[in-house]
Amino acid sequence: MNDSPRMRLPRWAPPLLSLTIAIVLGNLYGVQLVVLTFAASALLLVIWLLWSSVQALAGESELTFEEAFSLGARSAEEEQKRAVLRALKDLEYERSVGKISEDDFHEYSARYRAEAKRLMQTLDENLAEGRKQVERELERRLTKASARSAASVSAATSADPSEEQKSSPAAGSEPQKSAEKPDNKAAPNTRECVDCQAKNELDARFCKACGTPLDAVTEAEDNP
Amino acid sequence: MWQSLPELGTGIVYAILIAAAYTFAVALAAGRGRPRLLQAARLGAYSTSALVLFAVLLLSYAFVSHDFRIRYVAHYSDRRMSTAYLLTSLWGGQDGSLLWWSLLLSGYVTACVIWLKGRYRELQPYVIATLMVIVGFFAMLMLFAANPFETSIAGARPDGEGLNPLLQNYWMIIHPPCLYMGFVGCSVPFAFCVSALVTRRLDNEWVVAVRKWMLFAFLFLSIGNILGMMWAYEELGWGGFWAWDPVENAACLPWFTAAAYVHSTMIQERRPMLRVWNVFLICLTFFLTIFGTFLTRAGIITSVHAFAQSSIGTYFVYFMGVILGTSLGLMVWRLPDLKSTGQIESVASREAMFVANNWALLGGMTFILVSTMYPKISELWGESATVGPPHFNRWMGPIGLIIFALMGMAPLFGWRKTSGTSIKKAFRAPLIAMAVMVVLHAIFGGYLGYPPLVARDAFYPGFVGLVIQKTGSTLPGITIALAAFNVAVIVQEFVRGVKARRTVASKKGETESIGVALFRLIEKNRRRYGGYIVHLGIVSMFVGFTGTAWDIDRETAMVPGDHYHIGEYDLTYLGSRMCPGNPKCSAEEQADIEKRMLFADVDVVRAGKHLGRVSPAKFFYQSQPDGPTTEVSMMRSLREDLYTVVGQVDPQTKRAVFQFHVNPLVSWIWVGLLILMTGTITSLFPELSLGEIGAWSYVRAGAGVAAGTAFAVWIAMAPSMAFAHERPANSHVGTQMTGLSEATLQRQLPSAGLGMAGLAGLVLGSVVSVTRRRRDNAKKPRN
Repeated sequence: MNDSPRMRLPRWAPPLLSLTIAIVLGNLYGVQLVVLTFAASALLLVIWLLWSSVQALAGESELTFEEAFSLGARSAEEEQKRAVLRALKDLEYERSVGKISEDDFHEYSARYRAEAKRLMQTLDENLAEGRKQVERELERRLTKASARSAASVSAATSADPSEEQKSSPAAGSEPQKSAEKPDNKAAPNTRECVDCQAKNELDARFCKACGTPLDAVTEAEDNP
Repeated sequence: MWQSLPELGTGIVYAILIAAAYTFAVALAAGRGRPRLLQAARLGAYSTSALVLFAVLLLSYAFVSHDFRIRYVAHYSDRRMSTAYLLTSLWGGQDGSLLWWSLLLSGYVTACVIWLKGRYRELQPYVIATLMVIVGFFAMLMLFAANPFETSIAGARPDGEGLNPLLQNYWMIIHPPCLYMGFVGCSVPFAFCVSALVTRRLDNEWVVAVRKWMLFAFLFLSIGNILGMMWAYEELGWGGFWAWDPVENAACLPWFTAAAYVHSTMIQERRPMLRVWNVFLICLTFFLTIFGTFLTRAGIITSVHAFAQSSIGTYFVYFMGVILGTSLGLMVWRLPDLKSTGQIESVASREAMFVANNWALLGGMTFILVSTMYPKISELWGESATVGPPHFNRWMGPIGLIIFALMGMAPLFGWRKTSGTSIKKAFRAPLIAMAVMVVLHAIFGGYLGYPPLVARDAFYPGFVGLVIQKTGSTLPGITIALAAFNVAVIVQEFVRGVKARRTVASKKGETESIGVALFRLIEKNRRRYGGYIVHLGIVSMFVGFTGTAWDIDRETAMVPGDHYHIGEYDLTYLGSRMCPGNPKCSAEEQADIEKRMLFADVDVVRAGKHLGRVSPAKFFYQSQPDGPTTEVSMMRSLREDLYTVVGQVDPQTKRAVFQFHVNPLVSWIWVGLLILMTGTITSLFPELSLGEIGAWSYVRAGAGVAAGTAFAVWIAMAPSMAFAHERPANSHVGTQMTGLSEATLQRQLPSAGLGMAGLAGLVLGSVVSVTRRRRDNAKKPRN
């Protein structure tokens, strides 16, 4: 549980320690001591977790950007977009196995594509204001940071801070660090589909030209 | 002896209640938009779960140290029991099983809170709060009605009463935890549902979040129910696997609603429809899990699952009232937001079929619920009615077949609308397969002993009774025909999918072999094809259930040397023997110190071929002197099981009363479970995109800890196992931890070896992965 940012010990160390003690005591004194060792470990875990919880409650623990602003909840439009794209995928599948007539396919396909387009436009409009705010905030912070850091570094980073934000929502969590990562600035804001080489947004899940899923690429990028 | 253990245990249960209340309050506060508090709530949820774990470990310690001051320990264990069964006793009785239930719930809470990190931020606080209310309820239940740490008024006994021998069975080790996993698993979807209603985020968000949790619960509900059937079949000795006992019924009720939900959710994910329905199904499923527990525990209806009667029922009634009130209140409050904006466009669509199937599933559930409760309901007007298995069998047959037929037809329709030509094309092959099966069944069925029509008694007088009687007699034929239809549909779906893939590949100028195309087809559409595999499992189970229409039950008294003919079997009674003591007993039987076993040996010949020997028995446990247990002896095959039970044996004349059953096709139920598990796991797998949130490290760490725990326990038990091996054959020294018979040990050791290899692999894998992850992290540029 890496919820506490103050944790210093490797995550696997306490269970490993408890396990070692249990094995040693178990061999020496029998199964009772194994159970007791695990019980003691559980109690220590309870104490640590409760302490961390109270610290978080009292505002004594640090709160990372990710914890405070990881707004995992998607907007209603985003959900509708996913539903429409799923419906399109189903439609393609049903056409490929001959469950739907060509006329029906074209009718429904056109309807869903129009709906998807509308939703995507709405999403873009909704995001525009937030994006501007983030860019302004980022610029403010970067300016502050650049005043403290070396002049050369600050000059390199203030070029286009918005791209860093686009590439990863969590990236804004550590503006200090991003300011010192000039390499990332050159990252493209689109990527090519492996099948048709069409350019897609970085957060696209399917290619807008041929519909090939881009998930594998996204996951790979999300989990380096 | 640890003097203050019972007091500490009770104190910990209080602490669970306090921690749950604290987390609930903090989570509610976090729901008002204070992210820092959410972090405190998350940690609070973890600590509540860890407290429950601590309580379970304390009770386990009380069991392994034979602390008979604690009433529960004294009641459900004795000094002769092996460590494995001592730990099984944790869920053997009322009080402990509530604690065990809380532990499983804590496991779900922990998994859910870990999974929620960084996602569903708006829903999260209320999900945690709802889960904490459920944990708190179980803590209250333990404190005020069934405290597992309560001490006996009379003080510690020299030895405990021991676990009921019926429960000392490997199915019993895994059946209750699996069923509980299913029951408890329904809490998470309910928590999401409440959260969505409270926060008014009623779009697809919560439906998508809940899908995998519900599927997981559905998987374990299926496993738990079927394992329960296996246990009843092997242990209870009445020849069948499902007796429509109230507790069995209670366990299968949530299965129906969960099955309905996993279908109807697919519609909501695609269309803005069925929102109220899905909310209703989730709330109902959770309500039914609590209702089922209430039926089992409160003892309001007579059942073979005899949990002691206690005041616990009252608390369940209050809790059910709270669930109903909350669910209905929230639904009414949010009704304007739950209105569907879409509609079913055509009757010839998959949506329409799913809705019909939902109604059939819900109809089946309602029938079972009302019939189960009828004895209690009828008391309202002063009647004392009993509802037996014939009533259920007569009505559930047709209801089951409606579900079965709809299950076969639904995949043939496309979403939204299916053209007439497509329907004709889709139905052609399955209907031909069904017709061929009907003809084959009519010609060969009778010859093989499985005629399509069977005689049925008239259940009701008059015309309606006649119709029901005639319908009932055709059910086996219809079931087999529908099974052929269903299998053909599933095969056709796979064939069409593979063909489509290969066509697309050939258009791109690539070639895909059938095997590769099949693999990729399933991989790309795991949910869809996983679902079809589940359907195949259900078909297999239906075939198994139909087998009961052709079973043969006989009872006879025999003296050694007598022959008896049943079905195709010729049975010869060889004589009885009491073990340990009789020279004919095997070494493992001679070594048993827990019980005396009276076997009646019967030689089995089928169609002139000697198949071996069955030895039904009566076991006389030292810890349960009241009465012997009946031990079934079976000869299994995919075609039929020969199931033998011995009633009475005269020790002088060796005259024995036998019950012989020939149960056709029963094994297909267990095969069906395996297929169902494969299908559900296939559907579930991509949904558990753990990589996204880095949860794999938790899984690996969890697996490592679990493996380590098992390893430590195994190491610690090793000396006692060795001791058990060295004991002289007829030793009856009842020392601690020597309850394992040599037979059990010999059976366990190879599997323990295999298990050890697996566990070692897991530990190694965990260490390697953690190290690699750390190395990867270290390699990442810091600045």
